[in-house]
Amino acid sequence: MLELTDVRLQPHTPPMNAMLGGGEIHVVLGANRSGKTLLARCLAGLASCASGTVRLDGTDITRLDAGRRPVALVNQAFVNYPAWTVRDNLVSPLHARGVSRAERQHRAMQLARQLGLQALLHRYPHELSGGQQQRLAIGRALAKDARVLVMDEPLVNLDYKLRESLREELRGLLAETGAVVVYTTTDPGDAFSLASHVVLFAGHAIVQTGAPMDVYRHPVNFVAAALMSEPTVNRHQVRGEVWALRPEHVRLARPKDAPAREFGLRVEEVETNGAHTFVHGSVHEESWVVKLDGMAALPPGEQVPVYARERDILRFPNGAG
Amino acid sequence: MRTKPERQAAWLMVLPVVLVVAFSGVVPLMTVVNYSVQDILDVDTRFFVGFDWYRDALRDVRLHEALWRQLVFSFTALAIELPLGILVARCLPRQGRAASLLLVLCAIPLLVPLNVVGTIWQIFARGDIGMLGAAINGLGIDYNYTREPLHAWMTLVAMDVWHWTSLVVLLGFAGLSSIPPAYYQAADLDGAGRWQVFRHVELPHLRAVLLIAVLLRLMDSLMIYTEPFVLTGGGPGNTTTFLSQHLATIAVGQFDLGPAAAFSVIYFLLILLLCWLFHTLVVAGAERDDA
Amino acid sequence: MRASGTSCVFPTVRGSVASVQLEDVTFRYPGATADTLQTLSLVVGNGTTHALLGGSGAGKTTVLNLLSGLLQPTGGRILMDGHDIGGLPAARRNVTQVFQFPVLYPAMTVLENLCFPLRNRKWKPAAARERALAMAEELDVSPLLDRRPSTLTLFERQLVAIGRALVRPDVGLVLLDEPLTAVQPELKWRLRRALRRVQRDLGVTMVYVTHDQTEALTFAERVSVMHDGRILQTASPVDVHDEPAHEFVGYFIGSPGMNLLEARVESGMVYVAGTRVGGTVLADGDYRMGFRAQWAAVADAGLPASVRGVRYDGVVDDSPVGVLRATVADKEVYVRHAGLAPDGPMHLRVNRFILFREGWRAN
Repeated sequence: MLELTDVRLQPHTPPMNAMLGGGEIHVVLGANRSGKTLLARCLAGLASCASGTVRLDGTDITRLDAGRRPVALVNQAFVNYPAWTVRDNLVSPLHARGVSRAERQHRAMQLARQLGLQALLHRYPHELSGGQQQRLAIGRALAKDARVLVMDEPLVNLDYKLRESLREELRGLLAETGAVVVYTTTDPGDAFSLASHVVLFAGHAIVQTGAPMDVYRHPVNFVAAALMSEPTVNRHQVRGEVWALRPEHVRLARPKDAPAREFGLRVEEVETNGAHTFVHGSVHEESWVVKLDGMAALPPGEQVPVYARERDILRFPNGAG
Repeated sequence: MRTKPERQAAWLMVLPVVLVVAFSGVVPLMTVVNYSVQDILDVDTRFFVGFDWYRDALRDVRLHEALWRQLVFSFTALAIELPLGILVARCLPRQGRAASLLLVLCAIPLLVPLNVVGTIWQIFARGDIGMLGAAINGLGIDYNYTREPLHAWMTLVAMDVWHWTSLVVLLGFAGLSSIPPAYYQAADLDGAGRWQVFRHVELPHLRAVLLIAVLLRLMDSLMIYTEPFVLTGGGPGNTTTFLSQHLATIAVGQFDLGPAAAFSVIYFLLILLLCWLFHTLVVAGAERDDA
Repeated sequence: MRASGTSCVFPTVRGSVASVQLEDVTFRYPGATADTLQTLSLVVGNGTTHALLGGSGAGKTTVLNLLSGLLQPTGGRILMDGHDIGGLPAARRNVTQVFQFPVLYPAMTVLENLCFPLRNRKWKPAAARERALAMAEELDVSPLLDRRPSTLTLFERQLVAIGRALVRPDVGLVLLDEPLTAVQPELKWRLRRALRRVQRDLGVTMVYVTHDQTEALTFAERVSVMHDGRILQTASPVDVHDEPAHEFVGYFIGSPGMNLLEARVESGMVYVAGTRVGGTVLADGDYRMGFRAQWAAVADAGLPASVRGVRYDGVVDDSPVGVLRATVADKEVYVRHAGLAPDGPMHLRVNRFILFREGWRAN
């Protein structure tokens, strides 16, 4: 259990309180430059937070050096020892922990198997592909058997398809460790597919926490709604209120079963990826995007009516985020 | 951000360096300042003379001449070494075994001790047995660097160029290697000529490296002592006597400690001034452009 | 045939549009033991957008470099508007390129950057300026004209870089090498829109290289999926998604990729692990059956499967929607699903499938 009490990343940012349980994957979802990396570095002990206390299983680790913390960190960049083979890279954290020789070999082989690196044990990092290098970095972090595993956008530098498959593998691997896993990302897809617990992050502070579906259904404010929306959330300003409409909740046909509201969408661009169609346009000067299943053709430049069910509209009082 | 205890420990680690610098740099400097305001006849007989030595030094014609020669020499050397170094760096292949080999060859002059450089050139340029000197004489040009001031100057500049251009080459090579290939490709597609590629792609990317090169070479050439001392000994006459050698003549040759000390302080301030000017006018200007 | 800088042998292709044709192009890097590109053929129509999609090492950047003139083909021909442009240097092709990160001349202002390609081609300053201003207007960067690149955001810089690449009116072919890499995710579609608008307005041909299927499918009218130096399929975005010609295309496109299961055809029936899943006209034998997550559904009867987990990605019409992860005959498959996930054993009905043999589509 990792416990943050009144932690401020910077002197003037809001304090954060959170209880991050072991054996769970906590996905920290935030935009670029929202302070995710600083949070990751603070947890790893590479940076110090402005104030507050970080406790691990009841022990205060706030002032503990990175080297003395039972924390492992995986970065965006693929960090391995360049002069060592894959095997030595995996063995070194075990060696540092004083694991016996036989046990080291056993554990390194086990990790290599889990990560699909068993055929590459005698290669050097520069002889590996990007995906394999990051697998190795993840393996080194797992070999530390740390109680906290911090992953700072670990898949962001990989090809799209590789990212998808490694993400699937990670879920199983990380669940087995029993560690507190903190995984930062900008992609709501990561939150849905990996997280048992989501931490929405903006302006160097926590906006909302909860199970992915709860956070999706009941965002506390507009920022929270936007973070959990792919690609973004649509904004509509009415007197005293800001409405947030998720792209998948806006449709072209008037729903028959529930009261709905109509909007005039000026279509600017229609994009498709085969499975979905994204219609980009504007409603009352605000940029909107509508996500439709399958393929759809809409004339760019024209205004078309679009509908959203009343109960899908997320309403927030004006000025609240 | 609150400082962690470890951070304070870091200061302790720096302390030995601070002490060493203090004892090796600041204390001798203060001694020199102390000497420069006294007339020292022998160890026990010394008078406080105030700024007299400074006044004398500033009025000293030989110092003016040495300073003038110094500036001409430094800027001539810089004016040749910088473009030449960049030119050579541009001609080197960017990668492969040939690149490494050529870089090592280029770096060799930098590894030669200063007095050896002087000695090499002293022999190399001799009209009777030196390869260069004899060759020039063989061409029918009456060349003798120990007799003709112009020849002495040219030999000195050639020696400095031989010795230090490599530094610019190495720095320039590092700068050029860091330019992504996409820039060259884009310039090619934009129809840019060789000169434009140099002017608009390479030069802007080399700027930071070149500033360092200029600063290093300027400071270094202003303090040049060993090589001309070995090669020409400041001659013929005083025609190749630069500031540091002039200083050595007063301090060691004539043992005028007071004037020498005053001169040292002026010399030091001068270099400081030039570097400061360079920094404020060029480096800070460049940073302002970036902001 | 190689050019030796003679303008009479190789005419500079004129006109602001260009069709591009690769005929059996092979390429091998000097000293390499295998071909990077193997007899590659491709036709890109006049004034269209075409995407080259593939993983790293597929050879897409090599194709781009062949088109730009940075590399010369080992075999085959490259035609532009019907003219062989093999051997023609980059500057003499009507080709321009937008790179992964914004490539701008750092010491010039935005306006000077935009004018640069024109001034190099001996345009009068006033005419160059007029053209540059029009291009700035087109890309909505007019307020930035006097700024230097270092003061712009990455998004703005890439817009200006696109402007500089396209400012020459004689450009017919624009090569884009993953141009959205450096741009923030939420701004990517804006840049795509700007690119497409420029493409429509200028009528240029665009070839877009990417490893990101969403980008390829959303940007281009036609997509070529590349793998191991070959083009596996060239088709419209809908067709590469719905009608993959090769297993790899099915796997690479779509999120999640196409499910693939070993199948047997016996007298017109398709069996997976002993269960009949449908009919076919194909001859008896072993095939691989591919189906997309949205082509199958949980049913009372059909392929026996067991649920391993579910990944919801939203709620539509009050019921959670997402992807079921299940195993069929020890292989993992993904099925699009609305509503709460069933537990344990269940059945899958596959509504649509494609049969592959030795990788290639059979039906």
